[in-house]
Amino acid sequence: MIDFHTHPVLIQELAGKYPNYRRMAREVFQIGNNFQPLETFFLQMDVAGIDKAVLLPVDCARARGDSVSSNEQVAELCAGSNRFIGFASVDPLKEGAGRELEHAIHQMGLRGLKLDASLQDFHPDDKKAFAIYETAESLRIPVLVHTGMSWAPETPLELGHPLLFEKAIRRFPKLNFILAHFAWPWVWEATAMALKYPNVYLDTSCLYYDSPKEFYQFVFSKQIPTTVIERSLRNKIVFGSNYPRVEIKNMVHALKTLGLTEGCMTRILKLTAERLLAVNAAAPELTG
Amino acid sequence: MIIKLERIKLQTKKSEEAINITPRVEEAVGDSGVKNGIVNVLTLHTSSGLLVTEGIPCLEEDILTHFSRLFPEDENYHHRRYLDYDGRLGFNADTHLKSVIGGIQCMFPIEAGAIVKGSRQTIYFMEYDGPLERTYVIQILGEG
Repeated sequence: MIDFHTHPVLIQELAGKYPNYRRMAREVFQIGNNFQPLETFFLQMDVAGIDKAVLLPVDCARARGDSVSSNEQVAELCAGSNRFIGFASVDPLKEGAGRELEHAIHQMGLRGLKLDASLQDFHPDDKKAFAIYETAESLRIPVLVHTGMSWAPETPLELGHPLLFEKAIRRFPKLNFILAHFAWPWVWEATAMALKYPNVYLDTSCLYYDSPKEFYQFVFSKQIPTTVIERSLRNKIVFGSNYPRVEIKNMVHALKTLGLTEGCMTRILKLTAERLLAVNAAAPELTG
Repeated sequence: MIIKLERIKLQTKKSEEAINITPRVEEAVGDSGVKNGIVNVLTLHTSSGLLVTEGIPCLEEDILTHFSRLFPEDENYHHRRYLDYDGRLGFNADTHLKSVIGGIQCMFPIEAGAIVKGSRQTIYFMEYDGPLERTYVIQILGEG
């Protein structure tokens, strides 16, 4: 099983090594939990039944003073364990961002791109952002974009609207976009985009009130019917927890309470992620 | 008068578990040089606990099972909301309530350099919301 959405922001070993890491966690990402040894990360995966986790940095140094983990930190963690799959992040408005992305993929071994328009303070339609999408498409990597609400302070909601990415999604049909957090509260819009565009996927890392189980029960049975997931989006959704904003085990448990078939769950928890992460992204489509 | 305080880190490995820390407390008492006094043990976390009971696996299981029966995960708790100081939701009221009911500290007398306790009394660190690295404190006060 793969967790497609985690943030390495509370790793004790990195906090001891990188001077700005604590400020990043407390002020930029804004999380108050204790820093934990790397071992805790693996144990959290173990108790949730997760084999591998995608680590997501955000290069928001220009907009926020520090990045929310760096490509180097992610690569360092990945070099230490094959249970981690590292994504890169670049600032689309920064000179040389395309070359930086190529370096991260070819030299550092990272396997996807993470962008967060609200935290990085750029518009998804910016021509410089389009240049980065083009580079990502040529590298044949997936791009996971933050959509929906963010808990990070001073991030505008409007830059999280999933439809802001529609032009890019149409312009780069060979580039797979994963809309993070199911774009909550714009769940219908995100659903429509995943239904309409073959290159749009959704991750389940959404929790904004109540408990994970209660939130999933509402979003995935009342906000949209569970049947949409089971029948139409079974190949377009990947599991994501958003750890450490929530423990992975609680999100896995919540997903399991939806009553989805085993085939659908296997796709969400494993197969679709594997397909998106395939070195050659032209892996065969799942059918049925 | 001797006063010694140790902060002990403990990596828990499961969502819930009972970890026998009696040997570690006895070691701290032995190392302290205190002959007559008291030892206090305290967890620093509100979703963990410290309790004393007979040290056998069936009781460890019963405590965790019946605490979960008293405070089910799916109960309608108020503590299921965004906590701005944490930057995340709090939704683990059940684990906090287990900590409250089970307690977070224990105290034993020290006599002739040894803990005075019943032969079956075992000191447990209780994890209710792991796995996490936890810290508990041993404070020893007394005469050398």
